[in-house]
Amino acid sequence: MTAGSVYIHVPFCESKCPYCAFKSAPKGDGDEELYVESVRREISRRSSEIGPIDTLYVGGGTPTALSVGSWRELVNVLESSLSFLDGAEVTVEANPNTLSAEHIRLWGEWRVNRVSVGVQSFSDDELSFLGRLHTALQAEEAVVMCEEAGFCVSLDLMFGLPGASIRDWARSLRRAVGLRPRHISVYQLTIEPGTPFYERKFDLPEGYWQYRYAQWRLPKEGFFQYEISAFASPGYECGHNMNYWADGEYVGIGPAAWSFTNGARRANAASLAEYARMTERGGDAFVFEERIEGERAARQAAVLALRTKKGIDWSVFRSRYGDAFSDAIMRGLAKFPGELITCDERGAALSKKGMRVGDAIWSDII
Amino acid sequence: MDNGTANMNRIRNFSIIAHVDHGKSTLADRLIEMTHTVESRNMKAQILDTLDLERERGITIKLVPVRMNYTAPDGEKYILNLIDTPGHVDFSYEVSRSLAACEGAVLVVDAAQGVEAQTVANAYLAVEQNLDLIPVFNKIDLPSAQPERIAKEVGEVIGIDASNAVLASAKDGVGVDEILERIVSDIRPPVGDPDAPLRALVFDSVYDNYKGVISYVRVVDGELRVRKGVSFMATGEVFEVEEVGVFTPSMRPVDRLGPGEVGYVVAGIKSLADAGVGDTITDSPRPAPSPLPGYRRVKPVVFCGFFPIEREEINSLREALEKLQINDSAITFEPESSTALGFGFRCGFLGLLHMEIAKERLYREFGVELVATAPNVIYQVKLTDGDTIEARRPSDFPSDVSRQEEVLEPYIKITIFLPDSYVGACIQLCQERRGTYAGMDYITPERVRLTYDLPLSEFIMDFHDRLKSVTRGYASLDYEHIGYRPSDLVKVDILIQDEPVDAFSFICHRDAAYHRGHAVAAKLKELIPRQLFEVPIQAAIGKKVIVRVNVKALRKDVLAKCYGGDITRKRKLLEKQKEGKKRMKQVGRVLIPQEAFMAFMEVSGDDGR
Repeated sequence: MTAGSVYIHVPFCESKCPYCAFKSAPKGDGDEELYVESVRREISRRSSEIGPIDTLYVGGGTPTALSVGSWRELVNVLESSLSFLDGAEVTVEANPNTLSAEHIRLWGEWRVNRVSVGVQSFSDDELSFLGRLHTALQAEEAVVMCEEAGFCVSLDLMFGLPGASIRDWARSLRRAVGLRPRHISVYQLTIEPGTPFYERKFDLPEGYWQYRYAQWRLPKEGFFQYEISAFASPGYECGHNMNYWADGEYVGIGPAAWSFTNGARRANAASLAEYARMTERGGDAFVFEERIEGERAARQAAVLALRTKKGIDWSVFRSRYGDAFSDAIMRGLAKFPGELITCDERGAALSKKGMRVGDAIWSDII
Repeated sequence: MDNGTANMNRIRNFSIIAHVDHGKSTLADRLIEMTHTVESRNMKAQILDTLDLERERGITIKLVPVRMNYTAPDGEKYILNLIDTPGHVDFSYEVSRSLAACEGAVLVVDAAQGVEAQTVANAYLAVEQNLDLIPVFNKIDLPSAQPERIAKEVGEVIGIDASNAVLASAKDGVGVDEILERIVSDIRPPVGDPDAPLRALVFDSVYDNYKGVISYVRVVDGELRVRKGVSFMATGEVFEVEEVGVFTPSMRPVDRLGPGEVGYVVAGIKSLADAGVGDTITDSPRPAPSPLPGYRRVKPVVFCGFFPIEREEINSLREALEKLQINDSAITFEPESSTALGFGFRCGFLGLLHMEIAKERLYREFGVELVATAPNVIYQVKLTDGDTIEARRPSDFPSDVSRQEEVLEPYIKITIFLPDSYVGACIQLCQERRGTYAGMDYITPERVRLTYDLPLSEFIMDFHDRLKSVTRGYASLDYEHIGYRPSDLVKVDILIQDEPVDAFSFICHRDAAYHRGHAVAAKLKELIPRQLFEVPIQAAIGKKVIVRVNVKALRKDVLAKCYGGDITRKRKLLEKQKEGKKRMKQVGRVLIPQEAFMAFMEVSGDDGR
């Protein structure tokens, strides 16, 4: 079996954001070359797992922290070792701080069609609290540049920051919408273990009302919620992420990247040095593997599917996980109030209100 | 090894009785030490308090017998059987059991504190049993000791001549020799007929996993021997004696036990029902014509539900209760089912301390974790159709309030000894607890005896603790049951999401219903975590809602991105949350944490007055 979804992790950042738990490190001399070469080796070793590309996602870290020269090398590697379906979705994450016109030109010449801009906030105070090295104005410029280049642009916005008022949030959303992107991701600031924010141990405010406001406001502007944290103009949903939530297979390339193929979830070595060493010997870069089977696999899939507006389609679900587990999950969902979830013979999906308390529902059926 | 029946004239059977903290256990330790019953290197403080709980709480709950070999100054050798007694008011029934096996008692009075409520109650029990009494004034080493005053007090309050009391300090070993001599001289030897059919009083029993029921006995007539056929007179069940022995204080087998002797019997008995405490053991081929009088049996007065935390543990709980009952025959239990808590048992106890100790022992000795519902007394509910219901739990009350003609509740007469400076505070407490003044007199110019008629239900709700706090620990109390009286009582139901939760219902006086209902609802609001929907909590009398509070719907949630790498981590987080939920009880759609059921007990006693 081969996967048509590939994720490429770029492990570099200009500086580490204090809330972020994703793997990244400052670049040393020669790291970029080492990285691109290791990626080439890993793809070549895993070519049997990778089918014609339907979605490709380059994330991080900060993909724009990679110089344009290295980007060119990376593009060469990908073009020579992967085959792309017509109309394949190719997404790149961009940080307003490091995004350059050269990056944009290169992507445009290649096959990038989506750019996800890590705006996070339109308030300079909040950006500085979050440790971001760009201003709100730089973020706006980055978005405009990407739009002018013809990409489908997505914005990331964060809510639930200490001290934020509903006005601040409304202003941020208004500015986001005013830039006319195609896609907006909103997500709540969470404190992850191992991050500087975790060590500082401050209390987070309730993010509920901000989320609710986004659910009310964004559809009026033509952005429809198709997943817990994602809103899009019709037809511009992120196919790569949709595949995750549909419990589809994907191959992750690069340090700390995760793969899900043939029923196994595997993670690559997190540090570039370790990753490079493992691929150099011609071996796998996996340092973690887990196989989730039977009822646990079904329950995890149900939770993932319930993140989306479409929810669970029982006919698909049953054919994949069997009647017994499907029935058990259905019974578990049926006891929640109708205002939170619709659950019938055809499918099950969270309502808007249900999405606001998703964790509580999922932790019940997991 | 003792190999023959001892000469009855050389046996003395006695108990030590005292108010709690007057030094009974220390004196018992000294007697054991002075008679070399336990080698000094094996001595530990309060050797007879065998339960961990007893040592921790500094009280004696289970009585433990011990056999001491004593050589009198004139060279004569005696066997002294000490049958220990508990001191707390909840356990006075155990005292009467011990006393039924004795001819005499050492009455210990604190030489500084003087006569306290339990001194009087226990002395009277001994007098009822016609025991020879030896007054001992303990803690004579204290600077505040006033033996002359105490002697006068004992004479005036109890009516016992204490002019010849032994002045002792058990702590320092002072007076212990004299006490041993007085036990021999003042307590009469047992009388019994070695040739008559066997009659042995079972005054306690414990359960051993290997031996089964071990009965503690006092032989009155005849002889107990290994391989002898015996029967229990109450049930007629026949057993063969497998082992007899004495307490040193550890159990040591002997060949036989004769008249006047105290020891234990193992006869392959597996069930308490076959070997009831208070029963008489007799010869099976040649039974005695009549059983021994036994002792006053007590009925449980406080009831509560015990429910296992894990539903599957119901059978372990049943087995544990059965074994506990063999050990503590005053406990009763019957199956009950609660819509909120599932299957469990309605258990009866002698008091709140007794209940707490049973719960604690179930956990420590049998590993059973449980939820206990609020304790209550037995109410009598007179119905309009003339019937009377005995209500042991709130759900026994008729759901239709109009069928209820009158409710009666048990009352006690409570006797409190206290310094006169605390009389005001004490009277206020009794009034708050719906008490009716019954009398007051001065024992000495500074010490007062106050009596009140009090509803038992008010007493079991932490009355003892409150009394200690308003009198700074200087009061002592005793009580007796004085029957049922009518009261304006109502059943208050607690509804969660419009569903009555039976485990939270309680009975209280109409005037206190609002306060208690409010306190319970507020506490539940605090303890029930926010759910996916608003949860109304109401207190209601019949259909009339008197209190309403809401647990707001859950709002705090983490709406994180979840992409490839996050999926495993996210699943682990959710699984952890799910584990947390498992420890809650689901009532309808609402998850209620265990703590809510436990905290309810505390709250329902505190009505916010």
